[in-house]
Amino acid sequence: MTYLPVIDESACLAHGDCEEMAPGVFRVEDVASVIGTAPDEQLLAVARACPASAIVLVEKESGQQVYP
Amino acid sequence: MTHTVVDADVLIAGGGLAAQRCCETLRRGGFDGRIVVLCEEPRAPYDRPALSKAVLMGELEVGTLAYREPRWYGEHEIELLLGTAARELDATVHVVELQDGSHLRYRHLLIATGSRPRPLPMFSSNDRVHELRTAADAQRLRATLASGSGELAVIGAGLIGLEVASAAGALGLTVTVIEAAPTPLARALPPALGLWIAGLHREHGVDVRLATAVEGVEHGSYETRMKLSDGSRVVAETVLLAVGTVPATQWLASSGLGPGAIHVDAGGRTQLPDVYAAGDVACYPGPHPEQRIPTQHWEAAARQGTTVARSLLGQEPLHSPPPMFWSDQHGRRIQLVGHAPGGCEVELDGDPAASSFIAWLTHTELPPAAMLVNRPDALPQARAWIAASHP
Repeated sequence: MTYLPVIDESACLAHGDCEEMAPGVFRVEDVASVIGTAPDEQLLAVARACPASAIVLVEKESGQQVYP
Repeated sequence: MTHTVVDADVLIAGGGLAAQRCCETLRRGGFDGRIVVLCEEPRAPYDRPALSKAVLMGELEVGTLAYREPRWYGEHEIELLLGTAARELDATVHVVELQDGSHLRYRHLLIATGSRPRPLPMFSSNDRVHELRTAADAQRLRATLASGSGELAVIGAGLIGLEVASAAGALGLTVTVIEAAPTPLARALPPALGLWIAGLHREHGVDVRLATAVEGVEHGSYETRMKLSDGSRVVAETVLLAVGTVPATQWLASSGLGPGAIHVDAGGRTQLPDVYAAGDVACYPGPHPEQRIPTQHWEAAARQGTTVARSLLGQEPLHSPPPMFWSDQHGRRIQLVGHAPGGCEVELDGDPAASSFIAWLTHTELPPAAMLVNRPDALPQARAWIAASHP
């Protein structure tokens, strides 16, 4: 678990797909927020599925953007 | 206040993305009234963008495109009436007549019937002539393209036409794209970028004819022959008509709405009481008065479905991020963030001859925009740049 999901709130349209796929990690109200963590592969799958491309994954240690 | 029995507290005409997002936002917001959705197609709401991409390539089956599992609708008490479409609206008595002649009384109506391909009567109806809007259209076109041989003529160089040209070319067909305007995607992109896209297609063997109209059509036994405005002829076994769409408002003729896109306020309200509109059928106000244009893209339909749900919940619309669309053509992921009308300045970051680059688009009076080619990593940066340049 080295990835940290960050919501780009200016882009989030509250589609809710992230909460459907990973209810322990994301909660959607007006926009999505991060409430937990999950294995890197799962985070990557959810970020790829975000219709608004509003989930940015960064490497915890280095702060480097790994997705998109 | 008199209490009237209704068949639906929220009736949604149309079962696409706007309808889906409206349902989700209503339930998430605690709305506990009866929600009924009229789905003209015999399937629950599904994701259309793949129809002109992975479905044609044979990489995805249409059955996998549903937004939610079937049980989701039961769990959220959303009633889907599949294979059912509205035929007439009488807003004075809050009644929608269905195609089978029955009537539904609603408290609130969301019109989300989308759009349909603009017809080209000169082609007349023929087995070889295709349109692409629904899952059934995509299955029929896939069946034709799957052989990987023969000729395809695509009429219209918009997103659908170009994506189908890309897929058909990759499958091995000989593809000709015929476009009446001087550049592809002329309403969405400045000419220089439209011409870059034309070049990308030509590099991959697609014959792109710009500023060229079809003047005559003859259907033979095995092929369709087209006479073009430049005097040349194109012969193809399969033809795709992709010259844009028209809002599906024909059923509203007697209601006072339409015949074009339905103008609504920022909360999705039409001029009729308790009637809302979202998606391709609707025309929302833009951030600038001159930007009140129908944006018939996936993201707009999603946002507007949510907006109407928020209005019904008594909430203000969410802020709008810059509009965005994406397209996959010849292995390139093309993303446009913001509106890029004609007359904008293009500044390139990277070499368009290479597989990835960014075009920064600025305009003297309108907010800027950016086109990313195989640069999804730059999306957050592009959004921040656009947000920073219009307060």
